[in-house]
Amino acid sequence: MARWTPERRKRALVKTGYSIYYALFLVFIYGPMIAMFVLSFQGKRGGTSLPLRGVSLHWYEQLLSGRGVGDLQGSLLRSLILAVIVMLITALFSTMLAMAFRKRFYGSTVLFYTVMSGLMVPGVLLSLGLATVMRQFGISPNWYTSALGVHVVWTLPFGFLVMMAVFNRFDSRLEEAARDMGADEWTVFKEVTLPLITPGIVAAGLFGFTLSYDEFARTTLLAGQYNTLPLDINASMTQRIRPTLFALGTASTVFSLLMISVFLVIYTLLTRRFR
Amino acid sequence: MTGTRNRKHKGISRRRFVGTSAGLAAAGAIGGFPAIVRAADPLRSVGLAVSIINEIQGQAADDLGFDIRGQALGYGAMIGKMLNQNDQYDVAEGYYNDMDVFIPAKVWQPIDTNRIKDWDKVSNLTKTGKLTEDSQVGQGDAPVHHLYLDENGNRVKGPSRYISMLPAWHNADSMGYNPDETGRKIESWAELFSPDFKGRVALLNVPQIGVMDAAMGMEALGLAKFGDKGNMTKAEIDTLINFLIEKKKEGHFRAFWESFGQSVNLMVSGEVALESMWSPAVTAIKAEGVPCIYASPKEGMRGWHGGLALSAKLSGKALDQAYEYMNWWLDGWAGAFVARQGYYMSVPENVKKHLEPEEWDFWYDGKAAAKELPDPFGTIIVEKGEVRDGGSYEDRFKKIAVWNSLMDENDYLVKRWTEFLSA
Amino acid sequence: MSEQAAEQYHPGLVGAQQAAAIERPAQARQVKYDPGFPVGWLIAPATAWLLVFLVLPLVGIIVFSFWESTGHGMAPALSGDAYAAYFLNEGFFDAEHRNYLTPSIFIKTLWSTFYYAAFITAMCVLVGYPIAYFLAAQVTAFKWQLALFLLAMVPFWTSYLIRAVAWLPMLGRRGMLNEFLLFLGVIDKPSQLFLYSELGYLTALVQLYVVLAVGPIFFSLAKIDNAIVEAARDMGATSFQIFREITLPLSLPGVAIGSIFVFVMVMGEFATAVVVYGGKATTVGTVILNYYAIANYPFAAVNALMLMVAMMIGVVVILRVVDIRKEL
Repeated sequence: MARWTPERRKRALVKTGYSIYYALFLVFIYGPMIAMFVLSFQGKRGGTSLPLRGVSLHWYEQLLSGRGVGDLQGSLLRSLILAVIVMLITALFSTMLAMAFRKRFYGSTVLFYTVMSGLMVPGVLLSLGLATVMRQFGISPNWYTSALGVHVVWTLPFGFLVMMAVFNRFDSRLEEAARDMGADEWTVFKEVTLPLITPGIVAAGLFGFTLSYDEFARTTLLAGQYNTLPLDINASMTQRIRPTLFALGTASTVFSLLMISVFLVIYTLLTRRFR
Repeated sequence: MTGTRNRKHKGISRRRFVGTSAGLAAAGAIGGFPAIVRAADPLRSVGLAVSIINEIQGQAADDLGFDIRGQALGYGAMIGKMLNQNDQYDVAEGYYNDMDVFIPAKVWQPIDTNRIKDWDKVSNLTKTGKLTEDSQVGQGDAPVHHLYLDENGNRVKGPSRYISMLPAWHNADSMGYNPDETGRKIESWAELFSPDFKGRVALLNVPQIGVMDAAMGMEALGLAKFGDKGNMTKAEIDTLINFLIEKKKEGHFRAFWESFGQSVNLMVSGEVALESMWSPAVTAIKAEGVPCIYASPKEGMRGWHGGLALSAKLSGKALDQAYEYMNWWLDGWAGAFVARQGYYMSVPENVKKHLEPEEWDFWYDGKAAAKELPDPFGTIIVEKGEVRDGGSYEDRFKKIAVWNSLMDENDYLVKRWTEFLSA
Repeated sequence: MSEQAAEQYHPGLVGAQQAAAIERPAQARQVKYDPGFPVGWLIAPATAWLLVFLVLPLVGIIVFSFWESTGHGMAPALSGDAYAAYFLNEGFFDAEHRNYLTPSIFIKTLWSTFYYAAFITAMCVLVGYPIAYFLAAQVTAFKWQLALFLLAMVPFWTSYLIRAVAWLPMLGRRGMLNEFLLFLGVIDKPSQLFLYSELGYLTALVQLYVVLAVGPIFFSLAKIDNAIVEAARDMGATSFQIFREITLPLSLPGVAIGSIFVFVMVMGEFATAVVVYGGKATTVGTVILNYYAIANYPFAAVNALMLMVAMMIGVVVILRVVDIRKEL
């Protein structure tokens, strides 16, 4: 079985080639961040450019102390909460929509392109449009109401298209079989459909989280009196840019990598138990 | 009445929500949580990061006994918010060059100078336009043109009881350069287009302001004469932009910067030798160990002036607090704070009380530093014996060539500027 | 199927399907698939949400585009001024100078934005496809697929603006790349080519958006049943034939969706041009922001609507090539 056939050798070679390409790809997308990692340990008198003037944790301390411009901790927290809510709503809505689009229904094309326009309408003007309308009705914008609203408008098409891809060529015979055995719709969904589409839902949610966490233009007039993180960072650019930003970037990257490792460990443990 | 109560109710629940979530996270965090968890109705102020700094609003809150929440925004976001959502802030920390937008829009209310304690001490730079008797007012939107209003918020000529915005921080801008790279002293705006620095020059990419720096350069080169650089005609804009397009095609410009931080990075990282620059950038660049001199061009500098305005929606107790906050700004502490970043305040004599003599001599009088001096956050940024470029406060503001402005042909300017950038 | 193939077989990420499923006629499926949750309930929440937060403001934008700019905002009116400023006057119909087909700067900007977006989309698909293929076909364990995919996504959880600032110490004249090349002796003086250049700009855009293409392609590739591939191989198909006849066609919906993502993102770009290209290029996004900052909202609205039209054309073209709905 473990014979070293030419066929196997060829496959191994192909796999190695792809692995190298993937590694190069990682270098490519992480590349610009290397400088960020290094400079986050900039000395106390250094700045956001090379060379390093000493090595210190000074900027991490600054990050935690909340001095200077903006309220990085508060806005980070708001952005995270917002991103999580957007993630959940995106995952839910895009699943529901994609399930509806498995059938042809009246107005489906209109709805499809309406969802898609959320992708296309320029953020600043969407923000201005909604802010003006809200003002007419005397409603105040807030990051967890109006900003949430437009964030979902922006992330929904991403999640929706991902879910469309998931249901693309989806084999509905499994569901039919379950129905034939007398399962009601909810059971069919829970027992048959859901397990099959879970990775898609996770991906849709991830898109929602990522896009919302980083969204700036749509939030400008709709965040109300508290800044989200991108607004805060944008504001701090009107001052001297300090390595605090790099400390924040490095911290969030390390945190993300940790989360992935934790996920891997948990997943491994879980699958081992099921086996 | 109902509306007010509703808003109040919402406010409480919002704070509670934020408070709870903040509390949850604080349990895991090491530092404390600033600003967002304080109780009571805060005074809300919006502006650029020039004046909205946690330390400033924090000190004001401590001194005044009520909460002040500053919201710092980028320039575009700030204008949009101030103009469209005056119910979302109480105090606007704005700039006189935008007054052609804000005065007719009536989103702010006139400020009663009788309620400004130190109004008499406010310098003549804004009141008459001339800091000293022999000063020149300067072209463009000098604050004096946009200061006086009647009680209904309409512009009036000459001194009056009501003003559009309380004059506060201000500065004069020119170019910054790295002497090691230029190899000579820069004394004229003409140097901005010198072939010696081809590919090593950056220009400010805010059309309204960048165009004035360029106009100064063109005038200094003797290539054109502008009637009013702060309010050009279409033909003048064409002349200028055509010249800029030519230069850009030659590869003269390394980059165009939009934010303060970008301009600092450009010089520190050695990308440019010379660029249009805002004065505190010099301090920031030197703090990173890169030599940088702020040019004091013989043609004069480009001035700008910021201040505090009141939302038209403001009344009652909040209005009283806003006046207290404005009076506090003139009182000197804030002036001393921004002085350590290189900005000036409209009541210098109050600032003097809050600065050490050596600091005053260095920042305002243009004398050599008698000792090491710190920035507002306590980092030493001035070595002993250093002299501030551009001379004393008076030297700078006596001959402002032009003030940051909003032209009548603004739309046309932005259109031609777009052509310039895509050329 | 050989023993070895069976060992490698995994049901794919998203729903296993039999080879036969593909050949089933579309109509038959539709007639059969009537049960399921009622469509009305499925679309109601999202539709309501979109009406409030998208359609309403969008109608607002359309209305604003006909209003008058007052210099300090806008006033209700029925005016074509903003449209005239966009199209006329050195525009398409410059009657005065009789040059009917000289596009205005705004139309030129729209065109160049479109051109860049199309180019970047193609690049992202080319660069991203092998990555997606690697993840879907070469990595066999689901957990590693997901982990490696997430690894590629991590940079995007760092705020865009922070990453943008980090370009300078990386690519600048005294940046790490230049220092490294100097150290190697490849160059003898710092190159200005990496930053504030078209090369740097295009590279940065690909770097920023490629993951958006990888995601959907990965998903559609992961769904391909390995059994089909193995069957084809057993029948003597070459790797290239398998790719052309099976893998590529089945992954086209993913390519289409990834292309849409990248395309609309780059069309709406404004910050990268400023940071990485030093503001030396203008996108429609920049134009909109510039007019927004001087409170000429009607004109900003016209630019926004034209941008939307251009994006819509791009998306419709992509969907014409691959009808993702038909393949449901």
